[in-house]
Amino acid sequence: MSVKPMTMLLLLAVFSLASGIAAAQVEDVAVVVSSGNPAANISRSDLRKIFAGMKRSWPSGEPVKLVTRGSGCIERLALLRLLEMSEGEYKQYWTAQIYRGEVDAEPLVIPSIGMQKEALKLFPGAITLVNAADVKPGMKVIKVDGFLPGTPGYPLH
Amino acid sequence: MRRGRVATFVYSALWLIPAYSLAQETIPTENDQLTIPQLAQQIRQLQQQDLDLRERIRILEAKQSQASSSGLASGLASGAASCPVAATDPALPPNPPPDAEPTPLPEAPPSAARDWRDVHNVQWRGFGEVDYQVLNQRQPELGSDGFVPGSAGNFYTGDFGLFMTARLTNKASVLSEIIFEEGDAQKYHVDLRRMLLKYNYNDHLKMSFGRYQTDVGYYNWAFRSAAWLQTTADRPLVLQYASKGGLLPTQAVGVSVTGAIPSGKLGLNYVAEYGSSDTIRPHINGDGLLTDENNGNQANVGLFIQPDHLRGLQIGTSYYHDQVSNNTLNASSSQVVPPAGSLGPSARYGQIIVNAYAVYVAHGVEFLNEGFLIRQALIGGSLHFDTPAFYSQFSKQLGPVRPFFRYQYVNASSNVNSIFDDVGLRYGPSFGARYDLNDYMAFTAQLDHTVRRGQPNLDGLQLQWAFTF
Repeated sequence: MSVKPMTMLLLLAVFSLASGIAAAQVEDVAVVVSSGNPAANISRSDLRKIFAGMKRSWPSGEPVKLVTRGSGCIERLALLRLLEMSEGEYKQYWTAQIYRGEVDAEPLVIPSIGMQKEALKLFPGAITLVNAADVKPGMKVIKVDGFLPGTPGYPLH
Repeated sequence: MRRGRVATFVYSALWLIPAYSLAQETIPTENDQLTIPQLAQQIRQLQQQDLDLRERIRILEAKQSQASSSGLASGLASGAASCPVAATDPALPPNPPPDAEPTPLPEAPPSAARDWRDVHNVQWRGFGEVDYQVLNQRQPELGSDGFVPGSAGNFYTGDFGLFMTARLTNKASVLSEIIFEEGDAQKYHVDLRRMLLKYNYNDHLKMSFGRYQTDVGYYNWAFRSAAWLQTTADRPLVLQYASKGGLLPTQAVGVSVTGAIPSGKLGLNYVAEYGSSDTIRPHINGDGLLTDENNGNQANVGLFIQPDHLRGLQIGTSYYHDQVSNNTLNASSSQVVPPAGSLGPSARYGQIIVNAYAVYVAHGVEFLNEGFLIRQALIGGSLHFDTPAFYSQFSKQLGPVRPFFRYQYVNASSNVNSIFDDVGLRYGPSFGARYDLNDYMAFTAQLDHTVRRGQPNLDGLQLQWAFTF
């Protein structure tokens, strides 16, 4: 085998790997709020404060209702990356927040996207994370730092 | 040369297959023509597999929805709900093919939604501990939490707590914390350690009315009562509950207001408390006496920052004021027994507690540094006592184990008129490790070395099982 085919083979291998990795990384997670929520954009910093229970009301005064997915979900992994916590730290953190009296309860854990949608209808201050590819009609997706899911620079994966 | 080209095509096809299955974005080139029928076949198989899996998910979700009316709510409340498309299982594709018709997912029946709210209206939690302590006391000191002073070592149960929160409206809720505290001779007494009616108007104004735990310092706020929350087996002496010989007025009945002050990325917050307290603290030197401080009304104001750019950092300060008496009682008879040469119970002291702290808790690191200056000045006189105290604690999570080191220092006057004359000077290190068995149980082993003014040093070992449920 000459040098040229070997180089070509290597280039193809790198290309294939790169496209595979890119596909795996482009799993943007959308921030979804109740349809009545006037918010259209949120900063990553505020999003972190909201999901850490440090910011507990919307500018309108409506209390924030956190709706999350269970451990192992793509949305949960994105949440843990946002908060820079492991699953264990996350659980311990919320138990501590409850004992401190900072919050009344842990975030609501929802097992399916259908129930997530229902929770958004039930709680006017609800906010949740949804895998961008799973966003359903009627879900209000808001920008994060001015970016929508799928656009370059979107910070939540 | 020709053989080389064929080999190149075969290798290319092998590399391209995973790329197609992951992204389906690669544009076929002329060289890939031979592999297209194979790839198309594979895509059809994957699509079929995907449809099968989605059907399975639909069935599972339908079962979950049925279960919701009979018990799903409890699963949701406990956080046991799992992801239907588990990302941990690579066999399950998270997204449908782009050209496939979206399959409508079943909506949960309204009854399930009602159940979630019902459960979250009242939340019960509990925590407890089982301890074993060995202490080389030659002269018995105060035995708190059920530890028998003077014994070589014994088991005790510390605090067992029941914690309840109930949401009344969107902004109002109730919190209560009932503690069963072990005392002498395995007698338990009940302490309503916190009972609060809370009203959160918004992030800038959060009010609590009732019996609160004072926000003097960080530790009081962060760890409250539960041993399970702490890294160490016990609290630093200065922050120990007054009922166990601690120096601070840890409880009061009144109003506590807290909230965020608009400050951009600085993350400035305030706390203001006004209430009544009546601290009775047993002397820790084992003289069998209590001090009834008759505090009267207290005021506490504090500020702290949580900067955005350094998550986990919190720096704060607080200023506390009340008036106290040095009213010494016999612990068993409750008779007033003013020590010889003291000014007696009628003397009132203005008490000021200044606190400052800097803590960093993130990325598995816990670094707590907190200092206090407690000043008690005789009203109408020049007599005053300053009690400086601090502790510094460092720990790092390493898998399930969290080794820690703590150093604490308290220096109280031994003057007979000082309210903390039983404490004197005490300082020394503690070190050990906490092992988290799971999310609900932890085992802690801790060694302590305490130097005391005018008395032999104390060495101790504490073993603790702490749990929450």
